[in-house]
Amino acid sequence: MPIFKTPFNGYSVKFSPFYESRLAVATAQNFGILGNGRIHVLDLPPTPSTPISELSSYDTADGVYDLTWSESHESLIVAAIADGSIKLYDVALPPSNNPIRSFHEHTREAHSVDYNATRRDSFITASWDDTIKLWTLDRPASVRTFKEHAYCVYQAVWHPKLSDVFASASGDCTLRIWDVREPGSTMVIPAHEFEILSCDWNKYDDCLIATGSVDKTIKVWDVRSYRVPLAVLNGHGYAVRKVKFSPHRRNYMVSCSYDMTVCLWDFMVEDALVGRYDHHTEFAVGVDMSVLVEGLLASTGWDELVYVWLQGTDPRAP
Amino acid sequence: MATQSPSPPNSTQDQPQNSATELAQATDGDQQVAGEEAIKQISTPSVFVNSEPVREEQVQNAVKFLSHPKVRGSPIIYRRSFLEKKGLTKEEIDEAFRRVPDPPPSAQAPSTNQDGPVKSSSTIQPHAPGQTLQPTAASHAGMISSMGPLKPGRFHWYHAVLAVGVLAVSGAGTAVLIKNALVPRLKSWIRKVVLEEDNALVKKIDLKPSLAEEAAAAAKAAAAAAADVARASQEMLNSKNTEKRYFEELMNRLDVQVQEMKSMTHAIRRLEGDQHGASDTSLKQPYTNGKAEFDSRSARSSSPPASVEPSVAPHPKSYMDIMAMVQRGERPPNVRDINDLPPNPNQQPSNPRLAPRAKPWEGGHAQNSSSQVFQSQVNGEGSNSMVQDNGVMYQLDGDSSVPWWQRKKAQITEIEDEIKGGPYSVRTNAQPIQSSWVPPQPPPVVMPEAAEAIRRPKPSAQREQFADHQSVSHPPDASDELQRITKISESGGAVEINGGESGLSSSEIQEEQSTQP
Repeated sequence: MPIFKTPFNGYSVKFSPFYESRLAVATAQNFGILGNGRIHVLDLPPTPSTPISELSSYDTADGVYDLTWSESHESLIVAAIADGSIKLYDVALPPSNNPIRSFHEHTREAHSVDYNATRRDSFITASWDDTIKLWTLDRPASVRTFKEHAYCVYQAVWHPKLSDVFASASGDCTLRIWDVREPGSTMVIPAHEFEILSCDWNKYDDCLIATGSVDKTIKVWDVRSYRVPLAVLNGHGYAVRKVKFSPHRRNYMVSCSYDMTVCLWDFMVEDALVGRYDHHTEFAVGVDMSVLVEGLLASTGWDELVYVWLQGTDPRAP
Repeated sequence: MATQSPSPPNSTQDQPQNSATELAQATDGDQQVAGEEAIKQISTPSVFVNSEPVREEQVQNAVKFLSHPKVRGSPIIYRRSFLEKKGLTKEEIDEAFRRVPDPPPSAQAPSTNQDGPVKSSSTIQPHAPGQTLQPTAASHAGMISSMGPLKPGRFHWYHAVLAVGVLAVSGAGTAVLIKNALVPRLKSWIRKVVLEEDNALVKKIDLKPSLAEEAAAAAKAAAAAAADVARASQEMLNSKNTEKRYFEELMNRLDVQVQEMKSMTHAIRRLEGDQHGASDTSLKQPYTNGKAEFDSRSARSSSPPASVEPSVAPHPKSYMDIMAMVQRGERPPNVRDINDLPPNPNQQPSNPRLAPRAKPWEGGHAQNSSSQVFQSQVNGEGSNSMVQDNGVMYQLDGDSSVPWWQRKKAQITEIEDEIKGGPYSVRTNAQPIQSSWVPPQPPPVVMPEAAEAIRRPKPSAQREQFADHQSVSHPPDASDELQRITKISESGGAVEINGGESGLSSSEIQEEQSTQP
């Protein structure tokens, strides 16, 4: 399976929603503590034995914690930077024209960015300044700021079908569900006893949402009966850094953790752990499942490697 | 903020429609989908709202919590956050905030309840000093007992100091009370009794029997008085015991808290030292705070520790080196000064050349239209810019290379369908994947020849099947997979039918190939 070596520590990887073979990686120098950052736009080779090629890369003054592809323009990338800025990159323009926008509103590190897949015109960013901001591509300033969390917001994710609903996971141990038409959050779920690092909506069932936490578990919740989780997935040895539901199968999800593994789960089954990939040699921090190619996974970690592989194969196989 | 929210949706809803009109056939599909979504939106958001009635018990607990003087000093957002973590809904929290009145009267309100038992034990004679001490002792006692329910709240150092001081004062108060009130009263009682006795002695002629009687009476009275005193002191002692018990309990809990707070402050001190480096505020705390946070979480929840105790993941050595370097205020040597501001802040993004592709979970007609649009665009583009059509070039160009991820993927899903063998799968039940073909005893690797032998595909029927096969929400049939594999094996890897996956791309490919000359 092809791999890519990044000069800095990997933080996030995302497949392009337009091109099956394209993905973008967010990296930060010195583990993101203090240093520069870089965004890589990669292209998968036709044969698995050749390495992944880099289409372009963009340097930033501070580490890049997360990025997302635009759903409206196939060449646009939105990046969340550790200095709190949100930057917009256009892959189709020459590197000297990039970034094309830089929004400086968050007062602390911007930790996550997500693009609305139904509306295709807006994106939300989550920051360690406890706020979530809503943006559109055409406006120079944020459209709205959602300030309710009592601690860092680690991730904010749009609902895959309802274009006004999104969820946020925070270090104040709550998962909040928001509607952009409402002034505040519509639901508060105290999902874990410890910080919640990630959340994701189920793509096939409107009411299911999963959270990954520092307490090493992943919980799947039905928002209609949110007092008790639908499923609790144990198996990671350390904090769960990211969870993502499969775009192709209702019951599958993938997660990556500080225990250096990427795990595949089927939460409807008693023995939920379906696959475990331990190819990383440092914290596995970013994982993504391709929307266009079923079963294609990518992950990145602090070991400065990006792996792309098919579910069921060995990521390290040549 | 609320007034702003209507306008952005209106303005942003215009945009997708504008961009949609640019495309050939996507408009209808998109608008229909948008329309349906709009209808859905009106009805479904109710799912994402707490619809439970307000729970009175929770609200009362919250009111008690909020009335606590210590809590009153904390920022409102922390109070809300605490209550949310306890599982209260927004309505319950709002109701509790409504019920808690302004600060001064409510602080005394719980303490007046506690005045009762304390007062009854010391009803003797409220002397002036005793009076001033009493309410304070009562209020302190009240605070201690109302601190009981505050277990998972925030304990700071001054709580511990305050508790100790409070109990010392209450002990001193009772001591003073006894000294001031009780003892003089006792003395006067005894003196009175003795005086009465003397008087009785003087008055009575019949000394002996009367003396004896009166002595007995006096003794009885003294005994009664002593009994009263004893009872009073017993009650005092009891209350003191209960206070002591509360105190013990509190001290035990505080000890636990202190232990964990110590470790937490050590961790924080260490990490804060790292983080507040001389130069930069952009140091990334919460990962390290993530570690510190779950120490503090275990400190805050004095309930029994969770069965899954989060532990700090071991960080790489170079990570520790860099943290140490930053803590010393040094900048790591490999960091460059980079100007990452946009060279032209008004640079327009390049026009999108591809239509947005429908997601596998959306299914339906939207996919049809966009796939056709995609195809027409691709054909129209011809051989322009490699870069954009990169994702499509593989299918279009004449040579026989199939992207490795597509070909292998077919095999992989088949393997998954058949066995759950291999090093990676752990599941024991077969995931129902709507396979119409169930293998008898599946081998770990599918031999194309064997597969061909089992299945005899009909190419034309296969094509039609693919062309009609538009709905995406279920994964491909195993039979289709096999047929595709046999196709590949038959043609020696050449692309006839692309070993594609379900959904959009496979149907696209089919259509593209069918339109190729």
